[in-house]
Amino acid sequence: MRLILVICIIFLAACSPKEAIYNTQSYVFGTLVDITIYGETEEKSRLVADEIIHDFQQLHHHLHAWRPSKLNTLNTAFASGKTPVHVDSVIANMITEASALSIQSKGAFNPSIGGLIEAWGFHHDEFKPINVDQEKINNLVKAKPQMSDIVVKSNSAFSNNPAVRLDFGGYAKGYALDLAIASLRKQNINNALINIGGNIIALGKHGEKPWRVGIQHPRKPSAIATLDLQSGWAIGTSGDYQRFFELAGKRYCHIIDPSTGYPVQGVQAVTVLIPPSANAGVLSDVSSKPIFIAKPQARIQAASLMGVENFLVIESEQHIYISQALTKRLTWLDKDAEKYAVEYGTQTQP
Amino acid sequence: MARKLNHKPLLGDWLVIIASVVAIIFMFLQFWSFEQASKLKIRQGNQIISTYDLNQTRDLRIHGAVGDSLISISQGKVRFKQSPCNNQYCVHQGWLNRAGQVAICIPNQISLQLIGAKSSYDSLNY
Amino acid sequence: MTHLTIKTNAEDFHIAKLTALAIGLHMIEAVIPSPLPGVKPGIANIVTLFVLYQYGFATAAWVSLLRVFASSLLLGQFLSPTFLLSLSGALLSLGALCVAQYLPKKYFSAISLSILAAFAHIAGQLIIVRLWLIPHTGIVYLIPIFALAALVFGLINGLIAIKLLKNN
Repeated sequence: MRLILVICIIFLAACSPKEAIYNTQSYVFGTLVDITIYGETEEKSRLVADEIIHDFQQLHHHLHAWRPSKLNTLNTAFASGKTPVHVDSVIANMITEASALSIQSKGAFNPSIGGLIEAWGFHHDEFKPINVDQEKINNLVKAKPQMSDIVVKSNSAFSNNPAVRLDFGGYAKGYALDLAIASLRKQNINNALINIGGNIIALGKHGEKPWRVGIQHPRKPSAIATLDLQSGWAIGTSGDYQRFFELAGKRYCHIIDPSTGYPVQGVQAVTVLIPPSANAGVLSDVSSKPIFIAKPQARIQAASLMGVENFLVIESEQHIYISQALTKRLTWLDKDAEKYAVEYGTQTQP
Repeated sequence: MARKLNHKPLLGDWLVIIASVVAIIFMFLQFWSFEQASKLKIRQGNQIISTYDLNQTRDLRIHGAVGDSLISISQGKVRFKQSPCNNQYCVHQGWLNRAGQVAICIPNQISLQLIGAKSSYDSLNY
Repeated sequence: MTHLTIKTNAEDFHIAKLTALAIGLHMIEAVIPSPLPGVKPGIANIVTLFVLYQYGFATAAWVSLLRVFASSLLLGQFLSPTFLLSLSGALLSLGALCVAQYLPKKYFSAISLSILAAFAHIAGQLIIVRLWLIPHTGIVYLIPIFALAALVFGLINGLIAIKLLKNN
């Protein structure tokens, strides 16, 4: 009888009532967009999710880095001289915000190096391993494109440097997260989780419990750890495994150090956890880059420069570093990673 | 065969009982700690193609944005076996077997999501 | 003309009675539902234990195996998967008893033997299930549940066996 009882309990536990959860996936920004809404009717959830997807598609269309788009028109104007051209107010605001963050990061986050990204062949949906033209890279680095070269006045813009070529690849997804949260709030939706290509922002909770996210292992098909994403918090990862190619046994990832012009080597993933703010999404996308690009001994400074307290750096399977603040929030799933994880010193406090 | 009989558990009996309880707790932790996936959800674009039982052996051919992807289910695990995409990241992901794991072929817009009795997280940061 | 004579004594008669009892328990168990059909807690082990203490291991093995074969014939399951499950369970549990009977009696009573036999019984059944009936990893979920059941039933069976032995 006891056996039967035990089994009944297990089956009962497995058949808990169906939750009011809506989930939809689409492909925007060249990646997977996953929207989960909790506690609303299916019709309302679908309506709101569709609207968000539509906004994302529009944004992607405007910001596309290698197909005709508003951004590309602007880039062409920047390259051809200092004549001010009309700029869409959304893009103007993005330039202003991205410029401030680029200055804050001391140029490590630099969305004006579209030329370099193009030279490395990442401006294709299906990119191939390429033998890069070293001279071209050197010239692009020497030309020093900077966000501060761009001058935005009312609704027109020009660049002081023709080498400036905007690529919002490391910014747009974060911007879209903030946009999505704003429109969810406007529609009075209190509980949702938005995932754009791995960058996630949370709103409210998943029922009684906070939203829980897994952090992908950079070399295994499973999650390395999980953490609770409280309302308004965002998480983002820069990894060498998202867009990369291998040539002669060497991995070339899509994250390029603006100071060398070469893809960053020696780090597999940097994850940042961002507390609630009006631009938490943007910060979750942007702030991981300076930490990723920094030399190992300079990562803590890079994080504090960006005001990031919660971060995780995976340099290799045996070299995993985590900030003290994040240790408390994170639950390891991968036993090896847990074994090798080392806490960064107290100097992370700004 | 004269044997001493006791109606109460002896010292050794208690040892056996305690060892058994420890072993059972260990088994629960071992087999129930990570959520073994039982189902596979395949999506193409924004459509759910279908949900499949993972406890079978079969290959599926799914037509995606750039061609046909071959997905292989094998007794509790699944992987992209062949893909028409250029980078083959999806194929290199290898076998998935735990609830919550995902493999995505972005060019072909096909995603595999493993579902268990209870996943340990709602979404994956990558 | 030669006469075939079967000489029986009181002990044979008693063993036959015990085997019949074991078969009865086995049949009762056959109607108890289980998450894996055919995988059972093994209450017939009470009889095996009793015989082990009263008549020794060889007799216990006879009773146990006779019970498996006779029950499967009676239930029409001879050579079926259920029969194989019973057989492998009985064989492994006899194996466990064969070793465990040498445990010092001062510290280990029938309760220990019963629990060990129950674990072996369930292990024997699960091995067959895994190797032959459901050859995938899905059943690992059930292992802890069956192990827990084995402990509970092993304990109960052991206590019943002790009571029977005391009354005898």
